[in-house]
Amino acid sequence: STGLTEDQKEFQKVALDFAAKEMAPYMAEWDEKEIFPVETMRKAAQLGFGGIYVKPDVGGSGLSRLDTSIIFEALATGCTSTTAYMSIHNMCVWMIDTFGNEEQRRRFCPSLCSMEKFASYCLTEPGSGSDAASLLTSAQRKGDTYVLNGSKAFISGGGDTDVYVVMCRTGGPGPKGISCLVLEKGMPGLSFGKKEKKVGWNSQPTRAVIFEDCAVPVGNRLGAEGQGFSIAMQGLNGGRINIASCSLGAAHASVLLAQEHLTVRKQFGEPLANNQYLQFRLAEMATRLLAARLMVRNAARALQEGREDAAVLCSMAKLFATDECFGICNQALQMHGGYGYLKDYAVQQFVRDIRVHQILEGTNEVMRMIVARNLLQG
Amino acid sequence: QAIDDDCNQTGQLLAAMLDWPQGTFASRVQLESGAVLVEREVDGGLETLRLRLPAVLTADLRLNEPRYATLPNIMKAKKKPLEVIPAAELGVPTGAPRLKVLQVQEPPPRAGGEKVESVESLVGKLRQAGRI
Repeated sequence: STGLTEDQKEFQKVALDFAAKEMAPYMAEWDEKEIFPVETMRKAAQLGFGGIYVKPDVGGSGLSRLDTSIIFEALATGCTSTTAYMSIHNMCVWMIDTFGNEEQRRRFCPSLCSMEKFASYCLTEPGSGSDAASLLTSAQRKGDTYVLNGSKAFISGGGDTDVYVVMCRTGGPGPKGISCLVLEKGMPGLSFGKKEKKVGWNSQPTRAVIFEDCAVPVGNRLGAEGQGFSIAMQGLNGGRINIASCSLGAAHASVLLAQEHLTVRKQFGEPLANNQYLQFRLAEMATRLLAARLMVRNAARALQEGREDAAVLCSMAKLFATDECFGICNQALQMHGGYGYLKDYAVQQFVRDIRVHQILEGTNEVMRMIVARNLLQG
Repeated sequence: QAIDDDCNQTGQLLAAMLDWPQGTFASRVQLESGAVLVEREVDGGLETLRLRLPAVLTADLRLNEPRYATLPNIMKAKKKPLEVIPAAELGVPTGAPRLKVLQVQEPPPRAGGEKVESVESLVGKLRQAGRI
């Protein structure tokens, strides 16, 4: 909590309290039984966590990107998978809040901020992941509607959520032909694939989203035709900070677990904590965690201020934090010895839950592409 | 029990002054029509009283879980006005304390017990002491 304002410390405290009381006791059960904890998330929304950086006039909390990062990091100590979903939800509400017209904002945002309804972000397709701009889902204009055909893959919340922010092709090839449409569950022609079985992130369902002659009113388009890719990328800048923040929370919790274990577990006649190798490893873990946290918070500030290099900083922060934090959680598991491998101990869930943070919202390889392009373009 | 002097008097004094029933150390409160059911934490366990309304209640730790502060409320808290009212305006006398400590004493030291040789002897002793 160094360098935080009084208000930010308060936000952090509420989030940590909520994580400890409402999430941590259930994270193992949610993972094992693949429960999407709707009631708990709604409780979180009542505290203002449903639309943290969404404007207050439509039900959001109107806070900054840095405030958001602090909050997600704290919540992730309770259940990383659920917090990660909440961050995706927040990203979708922000997109509607920022790029929607007044009518769209008022139609969608209030019930999303309260989490009466949940949202999903639909960009990736079976044929386009890292090469997102090559997406194929088509949206043909027919009078007052767009008719969608195609499918999206790996959609977090897919099938259980109510509102879908879908990037689809209304124009020619490449990014400029992509628009952003808001769909709702129940629209004819909108269906879902089977629930995927994952290594982690089990407290959120992941499904394919399928469009078969799905008619969507033109009034559901966010922004202009051809603006969709830009909207998607701007959403992701914040999303990357949020995912990185979730990794920070998991790593923080894991360091605390490792610290506890080292003082309690004895071998060769003394607590593990007396072992210099382990002391040094723990010190390295804490050092890297702090470095990652500072990168993420710095990127959050840059994004909030609208700095020119914000997108690059977000990519660097996401790359660095998700990689480092996975290493930290993995180390923490190692320090637990055999116990670290048992599902009775939380550390393995943190490892499993944050592994995917190095892949989604832009693989860490894509993060490198973004940074390299920026450096070499001068 | 007040957190300043631990005197455990304010609620009781108020009830006496108002001549209202009192339920102190409340750990659970249930409203009925015209009355309130108060579960109290007493030394021997739990005691439940039904009090006619209006009544004076004092709260125990176990009565409630504090709510989480919401994000909007945290932000509003800074902007709430802080009104300073001088004590004189309220007609509350300040100055010399109105409580005088008359005496402080330790509880009597624990007296030694007695070992007995047989059950009959134990029963006899207990009878003698008026315990059974």
